[in-house]
Amino acid sequence: MLDFPHKQSAHCESGVAANLLTHRGINISEAMAFGIGVGLFFGYFPFVRINGMPLVTYRAAAGHILRQLIAIPGVQMYQKKFRNQDEAMAELDRALAASIPVGLQTGVFWLPYFPKALRFHFNAHNLVVYGKEGNEYLISDPVFPKPVRCQADDLARARFASGALAPKGKMYYLTQVPEKLERRPLIARGVRSVSKSMLASPFPLIGVRGIRFLAKRLAKWPQRLGRERADLHLGHVVRMQEEIGTGGGGFRFMYAAFLQESAEVMQERRLHDCAASLTGAGDTWREFAAMAARICKDRALPDDSYASMAACINRGAAMEEKVFTELQQWAKQHP
Amino acid sequence: MELPNHSSDEGITDGLKIVSYALNSKGEYELTPDFVWPPVNVANHLAWLEIAKQITQSREKVAAGRVSCLHYYMIANQMDIGLLAKYTSQPRWKVFLHLVPFIFNKLPASTLKKYAQLYKIATDDLIQGRLRPPIYKPE
Repeated sequence: MLDFPHKQSAHCESGVAANLLTHRGINISEAMAFGIGVGLFFGYFPFVRINGMPLVTYRAAAGHILRQLIAIPGVQMYQKKFRNQDEAMAELDRALAASIPVGLQTGVFWLPYFPKALRFHFNAHNLVVYGKEGNEYLISDPVFPKPVRCQADDLARARFASGALAPKGKMYYLTQVPEKLERRPLIARGVRSVSKSMLASPFPLIGVRGIRFLAKRLAKWPQRLGRERADLHLGHVVRMQEEIGTGGGGFRFMYAAFLQESAEVMQERRLHDCAASLTGAGDTWREFAAMAARICKDRALPDDSYASMAACINRGAAMEEKVFTELQQWAKQHP
Repeated sequence: MELPNHSSDEGITDGLKIVSYALNSKGEYELTPDFVWPPVNVANHLAWLEIAKQITQSREKVAAGRVSCLHYYMIANQMDIGLLAKYTSQPRWKVFLHLVPFIFNKLPASTLKKYAQLYKIATDDLIQGRLRPPIYKPE
């Protein structure tokens, strides 16, 4: 059986990317994979519904980080989706027989090793299968502290979960990696691309404009939806922000960790300062979440209200706008 | 974010030790294990309360004979008609009709088997209308 470097991480996709690269001898931290994979994002799409709730996302769409990593010169990845379940499992077994650790996109609901409180129909989870013993697969799931095991038919179900973002048995593995990863241009590229999506999106539901749009809508929820539904919506926003895999603060802390690491690599003071400001933005998101939790629990303090939550989000938006403007200017100087 | 006091409350993750990014005393980010931030628990708890409420409502409807027991299984496993239709590769209108007790009671064994396999129960459970716990909460 092959020796796979399982390392627990805060977010599944960047964790899988980092673990797969590390296995091929390129040491890269999760935060770095998240940064150069352009994982940070904001979008609020009320017309897309998840369990009847509007879609709020603090990160790029599933698969985005991996797509960015493939775009790195010298990195090549084999990817395949399937129609047939048996064929998909057979191909997985073949790859494992050749000692290749395989990344899979799965649904969370069908994975028995997941704690039951997290088993929602969420289909964009990533994990690495690195071995098979009898009818059990050995899985390195990046959000778990230790490798786990899963029965073959449960894994097959998880790979063919239906619904939004259906994985369709997607599997992938690295076929080629460069001898050494030159990080400096990748960091600059990643930073440029994130600041662009956060600041310059023509679509008003994305980036800083999206955050302000959320604030505007959120302030009106109690009137539009009634108290109970408004609280449910609020809980949903907080869950998306703080759920396992966000590293807390809606991925802002994870991105700040990336900026800190980049500051070391690039020998650049400004990135350190940006990391500190982004931490401030993350703290504002947390302040909002704490207030939201108090409201949901009916333990609101005197000045907790939907209006003050909207103000809090707007404050976060202003901070993020400042950070990403600064980062954009920095990236311009590092083509 | 400052490094918080480690919370002993395992809460919603059922004891799963997750990691997240936090600043250490030197102001550097590191992955910190074993910390669940309370607001997530509140939000998650709220979501499960809502699901539990829906399940109770569905149980009552099944008991009153207004819907078939398939409705309970659908709701208990957090599905809606669209999702259930996709999982069983049937058109939505068929699934919609199967929620009606009168129609459900006349379903052929092959259709019942599809549902039973999906929810990992015996076909007999569906015929007898026994309400087993959902997939994620085995007995």
